[in-house]
Amino acid sequence: MRVLIRLAVALALATPALAQQQEGIFPFDYRLVELENGFKAYLIKTGAPNQIAYVSMVRTGSRDEWEPGRSGFAHFFEHMMFRGTDKYPNYDAITTEFGAARNAFTGNDLTVYYLVASNEYLEQIMDLESDRFMNLNYSEPDFRTEAGAVLGEYQQSATTPFGFLFEKLRETAYDRHTYRHTTIGFEADVRAMPEGYDYSLSFHQRYYRPENVVLVLAGDFDFDVAEGLVEQYYSGWEPGYVPPQIPGEPQQRAPRRRVVEYQGRTLPVLTVNYKGPAWSASDRLAVATEVLGQVAFGSNSDIYKKLVIEERRVQFLNGDFDLPRDPGLLSVAAMVINPDDVGVVEAEIQSTVERFSEELVDEKLFNDTKSNMKYGFLMGLETAQNVAFSMIQYVINTGGIEAVNEYYSALDSVTREDVREAARRYLVENGKTVVTMVQAEGE
Amino acid sequence: MMNMLALLPACLLVLGACETAPEGTVALHEPESPFIAFNIWVKAGSQNDPAGKEGVAALTAALLSDGSTTEDSYDVILEKLYPMAAGYGYNIDKEMTVFTGRIHRDNLDAYYELFRNHLIAPAFKEEDFERVKAQRMNFLERTRRYARDEELSKELLFSMAYAGTPYEHPEEGYVRSVESITLDDVKDFYSQYYVRNSILVGIGGGYPAGFLTRVREDFNTLPEGEVPVVPAPQPRMPEGIEVLIVEKPTDATPISIGFPTDLLRGDPDFYGMMAMNSWFGEHRNSFSNLYQVIRESRGMNYGDYSYIEAFPMGYTTQQPRVNCSRRHQLFEIWIRPISMTAPGNLHDRTLFATRAALRELKAIVDDGMTEETLASTQQFLRNYTINWGSTIARRLAYAVDDAFYGIGGDGFLASIGPGLAALSLDGVNQAISTYLQYDNMYIVFITRDAEALKQKLLDGVPTPITYAGEKSAEHMAEDELIAGFPIPVTEESFTIIGINEVFEEGPQ
Repeated sequence: MRVLIRLAVALALATPALAQQQEGIFPFDYRLVELENGFKAYLIKTGAPNQIAYVSMVRTGSRDEWEPGRSGFAHFFEHMMFRGTDKYPNYDAITTEFGAARNAFTGNDLTVYYLVASNEYLEQIMDLESDRFMNLNYSEPDFRTEAGAVLGEYQQSATTPFGFLFEKLRETAYDRHTYRHTTIGFEADVRAMPEGYDYSLSFHQRYYRPENVVLVLAGDFDFDVAEGLVEQYYSGWEPGYVPPQIPGEPQQRAPRRRVVEYQGRTLPVLTVNYKGPAWSASDRLAVATEVLGQVAFGSNSDIYKKLVIEERRVQFLNGDFDLPRDPGLLSVAAMVINPDDVGVVEAEIQSTVERFSEELVDEKLFNDTKSNMKYGFLMGLETAQNVAFSMIQYVINTGGIEAVNEYYSALDSVTREDVREAARRYLVENGKTVVTMVQAEGE
Repeated sequence: MMNMLALLPACLLVLGACETAPEGTVALHEPESPFIAFNIWVKAGSQNDPAGKEGVAALTAALLSDGSTTEDSYDVILEKLYPMAAGYGYNIDKEMTVFTGRIHRDNLDAYYELFRNHLIAPAFKEEDFERVKAQRMNFLERTRRYARDEELSKELLFSMAYAGTPYEHPEEGYVRSVESITLDDVKDFYSQYYVRNSILVGIGGGYPAGFLTRVREDFNTLPEGEVPVVPAPQPRMPEGIEVLIVEKPTDATPISIGFPTDLLRGDPDFYGMMAMNSWFGEHRNSFSNLYQVIRESRGMNYGDYSYIEAFPMGYTTQQPRVNCSRRHQLFEIWIRPISMTAPGNLHDRTLFATRAALRELKAIVDDGMTEETLASTQQFLRNYTINWGSTIARRLAYAVDDAFYGIGGDGFLASIGPGLAALSLDGVNQAISTYLQYDNMYIVFITRDAEALKQKLLDGVPTPITYAGEKSAEHMAEDELIAGFPIPVTEESFTIIGINEVFEEGPQ
């Protein structure tokens, strides 16, 4: 069965952005092609002459590394996807012919592969990409060689102050869920990667399946031609996705606190973290939680003005309340200028949490924040690649892009009371983890 | 993504279709676009820093970007920018300071007022200065030394190659020089260099009629001034191999290699050297030679690239940098951190990768490109370089860079296709022998046990590597050649410093 849906909004971006709300914020004409094997392709016309961005989004990331000793594997596997197939043994040589800008990246919940190229290569790219997702084939020696590159990547990121801090923070805040490790993985697991050839084959078989991969094609192309190519090249992909057995995180029952020492020079970095909800476009409280992060700890918040601009006690203050696919952390981080001020800064963060749990947010700040979030989205829609990338969080969290309009409609309906309720629900003492990084003595 | 090749000449040539660009402006009118981009070039950079005050150009730009204006205090500026999801930024390089902004056209008027004021009406408040300076000091004392080794090796290479010239110090300055900068120093720098005859106003995208003239007139309210001319740097060619080793407790060694060249964008040989460089080490591309040898076949690190133009902060971006125009360039090889795979093997691996890169360089100097490699590189670049102008902000920045280099016509981006198509193999190989060589080289390592690395180089012993998996006999034979590739050094070739001495102060 082939489902064809056409949800054309077809508004020019030139119309005032906020007026688009009645009809949805997403300004482009698109078509969904859904194949019997579960594969979905979103074809989005963006008006970038002769260009296409071809973005394959795999709904698998370091979150899916649930087996012991396999942290970092999703990222490593991303590297292997460039190692060729029987039909096209040299992926690099072919994409070089296209002159494509191409790369990939891995995160907690995702692995994303992209090419940006001239639309004259659409069919060749469709052939090449579908082939490697279905028929990837690499030798064990190649696999072992690539593991060395991953170790280099680990060493250049994990040894920086923030690489070190995030690794320790995750370890402290989580007991069981796979968010306990970062995307690059634990060093011991990275060092053991060369031995994981058989596991890598199983990883590909379980996760690189049509039900778990979504194609977003953005740019300049003919709808019917592109749809025909999707059917031609992806229909033969056998379904067979095996969901990961990700352990649930038990409810945290008491606050946690840890100080970690960085072996190098750094100012102290204080992080205050709470257990938050999972991403949702329909749950108003989840959307309100993201608004809360902005109003309470964003660049226009009272605490930012006080600590960064007026008192100059911190180098930066940042609230990261972007929600992941599974319940994740709501994090506030501050780099403190004078090490003696760490306690003062923590008390300010605490009193901000209490204020937002008790009082309603200022109305102007609240409305400005909604505007900020909408324009933040619209400002990201300039190129075919950026349009496709703007869809990533919707595809990864829901499997499709329809949630874009749903999300911004939920944002419209969020009230100040919802924001206070989000603070009361999630910014609670028993869900709190405070991790502070300080410079080791003698450094 | 608008089509650069179509739009740029259309706007520059068909004057009836767009506002005539006043003097001192660069315009890229794309009326259909909902975005407007700004690119304001102040013709001063770190080369203009007074001795002992290295970093003042950068600190001035930072204070303008993150400070109050006579109209609004900094917190009010943030409050006004916030609902538009907008901000502004700056880029400071040796020769240029560029202020950039981008806005959705719904918000142009409100945004432009803030953007203009931050450049022509700064308040120079002491409290803003203290905040911005404290952030800069933290960067100099800690972040630069501990959070970005692979960028640091590049910065050290440039500093080494340009010793004794105005390009020597890093744009952000030294710890001691920035420590000594006062608010008055910043005000002096601003009044000397932020003058109307030294500022080029670039605007692109869907701006309304009359806007370009209005912006230029606003900048014309700045006073006129006489800007001192800094002579172009004349760096010293290294004599043989000159090595800087930074001692740092690390398990991964970044490596930078390079030497001065007399090649600039706009030179006839530039396209040939672009082709050479693309084949040899195109930034963040896996098909290039260096990457294939060091990363793809041997898995030694994350990537290996080469450059014919300065490319700061390469680890943050895949696309070429804009607004880093210079009157002098290096040829540069960047080897991302080489990992230690077993205790004690870091230096062998570091030197193996260095030898592999030098051996590849020797091969391209001695043998040049072939018809086949040139043709495939031309084909690649023809399509790939279209991505370089993917946004209005980037197209505009290239147009401003064209003004720096004096590139007329349709500009550099539009010239790449024809420039590449016109290449001959002889011409390219002639350019390679003119601009490249392998006898004289600056090399920077950041690694542990610096003395041991130095001794290993002095001993001249081969530095083989081992693999986790089987390799072919052919591969192992090549490894033997790489491991023993000579790097001729003497005791005098070396300088060793500790990580906490790096860029602490300028040369005494």
